[in-house]
Amino acid sequence: MTAISLEALKQRLALMEDAEIIDRETTNGLRLTFIYLETLIDQERLNESILEPVVRSFQSSVEKSLTTVKMNRLSNLEQALQYLMMGSVLVHDSSSARWHAIMLPNSLTRSIETSETETIMFGPKDSFSEQLEQNILLIRRRLPLTALKTERFSVGSLTQTTVVLMYIDGLINPEFVTIAKKKLSSIDFDIFLDSSHIAAFMEDHYHSIFPQYLQTDRPDSCAYALGIGKLVILVNNTPFALIAPITLFHLFQSPEDYINRWLVASFLRPLRYLSFLLSITLIPLYVALTTHHYQMLPLQILYVFIESRSKLPLSPFWEAFFILITLEIMKEASLRMPTKTSQNLGVIGGIVIGQAAVEAGFASKVLIVLAGISAISNFLVPNYLVTKSSLLLQFMFLILSSYLGVPGILLGLVGMIAHLNGLTSLKQPYLAPVSPFYWRDWVDLFVRGPLHAMRIRPEALRPLIKYRISRRRK
Amino acid sequence: MKRFIQATLVLLSSCLLILESGCVLLPENNMIEEITPIIFWSVQEAEDGKITISTLVPPLIKEKKRVLNLKVSLINEGNKGFNLNYHNELKAGQIRLLLVDEAYAKRGLTRLINTVLTDPNISQRLYLVVTKGDFNEFLAKHLDETDNIDYYIYRMFKHYEKKKQGEITVVNLHQFMKMLYSQVSDPQLPVFRAAGDQFLYEGTAFFDQDTMVAEIRGKDDQINQLLYRDRFVRYLVLPELSVTLGHIRAHTRKKLTPDLSSLSIEIDVKGRINELDSLARIEDNYQFAALSQKIERYLEENVISLLSQMQKLQIDPLQIGALTAKPFSRPITRDTWDRHWSTMKINVKVRLHLEPLTKVK
Repeated sequence: MTAISLEALKQRLALMEDAEIIDRETTNGLRLTFIYLETLIDQERLNESILEPVVRSFQSSVEKSLTTVKMNRLSNLEQALQYLMMGSVLVHDSSSARWHAIMLPNSLTRSIETSETETIMFGPKDSFSEQLEQNILLIRRRLPLTALKTERFSVGSLTQTTVVLMYIDGLINPEFVTIAKKKLSSIDFDIFLDSSHIAAFMEDHYHSIFPQYLQTDRPDSCAYALGIGKLVILVNNTPFALIAPITLFHLFQSPEDYINRWLVASFLRPLRYLSFLLSITLIPLYVALTTHHYQMLPLQILYVFIESRSKLPLSPFWEAFFILITLEIMKEASLRMPTKTSQNLGVIGGIVIGQAAVEAGFASKVLIVLAGISAISNFLVPNYLVTKSSLLLQFMFLILSSYLGVPGILLGLVGMIAHLNGLTSLKQPYLAPVSPFYWRDWVDLFVRGPLHAMRIRPEALRPLIKYRISRRRK
Repeated sequence: MKRFIQATLVLLSSCLLILESGCVLLPENNMIEEITPIIFWSVQEAEDGKITISTLVPPLIKEKKRVLNLKVSLINEGNKGFNLNYHNELKAGQIRLLLVDEAYAKRGLTRLINTVLTDPNISQRLYLVVTKGDFNEFLAKHLDETDNIDYYIYRMFKHYEKKKQGEITVVNLHQFMKMLYSQVSDPQLPVFRAAGDQFLYEGTAFFDQDTMVAEIRGKDDQINQLLYRDRFVRYLVLPELSVTLGHIRAHTRKKLTPDLSSLSIEIDVKGRINELDSLARIEDNYQFAALSQKIERYLEENVISLLSQMQKLQIDPLQIGALTAKPFSRPITRDTWDRHWSTMKINVKVRLHLEPLTKVK
C-alpha cells in the first residue's frame, strides 16, 4: 500500500488533460488542494456545494466546513485513485495532512425510455438505462422491502464494472445466492461491457446455444422474478439485467402474459412453443418430404409441390439452404442498416429475393411461403437470443432431414431434448418442471393459468416462503 | 469438450445402429422432381392369360398427358416396363385406385390383391373398382393439360367414402382383403362403366371369395347399401310405387336361429318422402298409413329377393355368417355355412318411420 502524496498523484495523472488540481485557501488560512477529473464530475455541484462553502468557511478543518456532503477518509494511493476514477473529488487538507474523497459523479444519462427489445402493448413501459443506480431505483420502487438486498461486486480488471446482485432475503433459496456469489467472485477477465459478458462467465454450460441467464431490460420482469424467488444481476453501464435461475420455458414467457386475460394468454403461449418448433422444423420437413417421403404428402399438396419444384435446378436441400442464408443476410442487414435506407431492404427482399427468385427458377413458391412462415414464427419467441440460436438449430435439422428424412428430424429433436435435459442454470435443471416433474408448476407453463390459481411460488425454485397468498385455509 | 465428443459419438453410433439394423432410411431416391408418382393402375384381361396394365403419366403436373399400356404376365413386370418406357421413374407410393376389368375380376383377384398387399410402398387405403367398357379409350379422351381425370376420380371415391355419403359403394383394399380372407363373408366392389368420355356408376359387384359372380343395380344396389352395416342412402327411388324416399337410415337387426335354419331380419327405416308422383293424399292419415304399408311390403319383398339371390349364389356380402361367431367356440367352416345359408328360411320385417314434413291430419 502506497501512502498518498500529491507528487504520486500528479505522476499518475500525467498526460490526462481532463485532470484538474486546484488550490484554495479558506478565510481562516486553511490550505486545501482539490484533485478531480473534470469529465467525470458534476462541475456545477463542485462549485456550489464544495468550493464556495469551503472558501467562505471559518472552520479549522475541511470536515467541519463540509457537513452536508458525505466524505470518505482515504488511507492509501490505490483507494484514492479508485475514488477519483469513479467520479470523486479528492481533497487534501494541508493542516491535518488528511485526504478525503467526495463523490460528485456526473449524472449524465439518458431518460427512462420504452423497452425496444421486449415491447408490449399494455403494461408498464419503463425500461432500464445504462445507469446502475437508476435501475436499482426502478426495481426498489416496485418492491419497497428492506428484505430486498443489493450486494455489490466489482468485475473486470480494466473496466472495474460494478455488478449488483439483488434478491429477496428470506424468500429466495439461499443456495442460489451462494452459487451466484461464488461465481461472481471467481470471474477473472479484463473487459465487461454488457451483462451478457457476465453471463458468459457465470453460465454452467457455455458451449450450449441456449441462454442460461435471461437478459431483460424490463424492471417489471425483474421485480416479478425476484418475487417468485429468483435473483437478478444488474450490471453498470448496460440496460440489460440478468435473471437466474431460468428454465427453457421462461424464454417463452412474456410480461404481457400476465396482463392479458388468462384464456388469451393460455392460447398465445402454446402458440409460441408451436411457432418455435415450426421455425426450426418447417423447412427441414419440406426438405425431408420432397427428398424422401413423397408418400406422406396428401395428393393435393403433392400436386402443388411437384408443380413448384418441377423446373428447379437445385435439389430441395440446396434450395432451402440458399434461401435460408439469403434470409439471414437480409435479417442481419436490416439490423445494421441506417434506418433511412431500411425501406430499400424491404423492396429488395420482397421483390428481388421473393418474387424474382421464383420467376427466375431458383426457388419454388412453396419454399418461399414456408421460409416466410418460418421467419415470422421465429419472432413469436419473446427472447431475442433464442430467436438467434434457433437459426443454428434450423441448419442442423436441415442437414439431418436431407440425409435421413423425417427420422433425421426426430433424431435431431431427441438430441436437442437430451441436450436441454443436461443443461443447468445456476446449477438448477433447465427443463424443470417437466423434468424433474413438479406438477403444481404446470399451472404457469404451457398455459398461463388464472392468477387466483397461482397460489404458490414455483416449486422447482424451492423458495423459503412457499405461498404467495397471506391468508390461506387451514 | 469431452461431453460434446461423447454426445457426438452416441448420436453417430445410434445413426449407424439404425442404418445397419435393416431399418434402412435411404433405400431409394425419392426426390419429387425426379419421380412420377402415379395414382392408379388399370388392369385388363388380355389374350393368352396375360394382362394389360395401364396408367396415366404425368399424373399431376399440368402437362400433356400420355396413357402407358403394357401387355405383361405379372403386375410388377408392367411396373418395370413403364419405367423403361418413360423418362421418370414411376413410383407406386401414392397409388390410390386399382381399376380391374370385369373379365379379369371374373377370373379371380387373389393374385392381384396379394401383389398389391405385399408391396410395402402401397397403402391399404386404395380404392378397388370393377370397370366395364374400354377404360383406356375413356382415358384417351381426357388427355388435356388441364384435365386431371385420374385425380378427379380419386376425389370422387374419397368424397363418397367420407361420412358415408350414401350414393355409391366404396370399398378400399383393406376392407376387401378383410372380407376376402374371412371364413364366411364375401367381398363386394363398385362397378363403373367407361363409355366414351364418361365414367358411369353401374352398381355393385358381388364376389364369391375372389371371383366376381354377380352384379346388382338400381333399387337392389340401394337396398344392399342400406343393409350393409346400417348405411345411409340419400335417395331411395321406388318408381313402381311412384315414390322417392330421402335421407334414409336403416337400423338392421339380424338374428339366426341356433340351428341355422332361419334368419330373421328386422329393419327400421327412417326417412322422409321426398317425391310423390301419385294421387295419394298423404296429408290424410289413412292414405299415409296405406302408403307406408305399401312401401314396407315392397321393401320386404325386395330384401327377400336380394337375399335369395345371394343364397342361390352361395355368397354372403352382408356378413350374415359373422353372426355365427361366438366367444370360446370354434368358427364355422365355409362349407358348413354355405350348406346352411343356401337353404336358410328368411323372414324380413320392415318398419318404416317417415318424418312428417307436412301437417298430417
